[in-house]
Amino acid sequence: MNFKIRAAKKDDCKDISRMIMELATYGKMPDEVKISHKELERDGFSSNPFFQCLVAEVPEENKSKEGQGIGKSLMSKVAQLGKEKQCMRLQFAVLDWNTPSLDFYVAKGAQDVTASEGWHFLRFDGEALDKLANEAED
Amino acid sequence: MANFILRKAESKDVSDILRLIKVSKVGDMVQHFVDLLEDGFGDHPFYHCFVAEVPKDQQSSEGYTVVGFAMYYFTYDPWIGKLLYLEDFYVMEEFRGFGIGSQILKVLSETAVKTRCSSMHFIVAENNTQSIDFYKRRGASDLSLEEGWRLFAIQKEELLKITAK
Repeated sequence: MNFKIRAAKKDDCKDISRMIMELATYGKMPDEVKISHKELERDGFSSNPFFQCLVAEVPEENKSKEGQGIGKSLMSKVAQLGKEKQCMRLQFAVLDWNTPSLDFYVAKGAQDVTASEGWHFLRFDGEALDKLANEAED
Repeated sequence: MANFILRKAESKDVSDILRLIKVSKVGDMVQHFVDLLEDGFGDHPFYHCFVAEVPKDQQSSEGYTVVGFAMYYFTYDPWIGKLLYLEDFYVMEEFRGFGIGSQILKVLSETAVKTRCSSMHFIVAENNTQSIDFYKRRGASDLSLEEGWRLFAIQKEELLKITAK
């Protein structure tokens, strides 16, 4: 399978947006996606980018086919970038029912620190965030 | 005692920030002064920080005037865009109960709203019931419980193995 991993360009945002939606649908939360390729273009490709992105690309003759080893290559590239920037750790969240992903990551040496150390993700958003920002001193 | 200010941390605060990180953490991963200084106040800051300061006449029993801090950075969620991620948040024990924590949280939320962040995310250990109650009282949702998100970590050693494959 012929593919290459490269840094994303502004033009890739439509494809990235498409794949974000595919992943959210797999995650059973497509309604949670609130941004489009426009926000990705604005937030990722200005003079002060808020994220970085890698994409995997296959040549024309291989389009629409299933990939093999692409996920592994993407992980490898992310790990390499982390190593270059002297990062100590890679941290991310996975849904508890997502067994294929859980297996993929555990096979690479990832630890579930929610299970082993009891870490929970919390969030303030929308109304709760506004309320907090507006409330008077306790 | 209600006299305190919250202000943006400066490079001169790094030794106090390091002291507060060490006090707040249990475990063996300890930051180094040089890394904290360069990572926060170099050409490319990897974090932002507020500190809570009391006047000299109200200093701590050991003589410190910087008595609390919050470390945060901006990150990105592909579903909702910019996020404020609260990494560390600590007030010295002898200065709790005076509204410093609440005020820090308020300033953080104002920052999030001002910078167009859709949400403020953070992690809390499940046995830290005091902190969980503090946040839930103020409207936070526990995404691990509500949506099933689990936090995963791949340590440097394992990351290096992945790069070699």
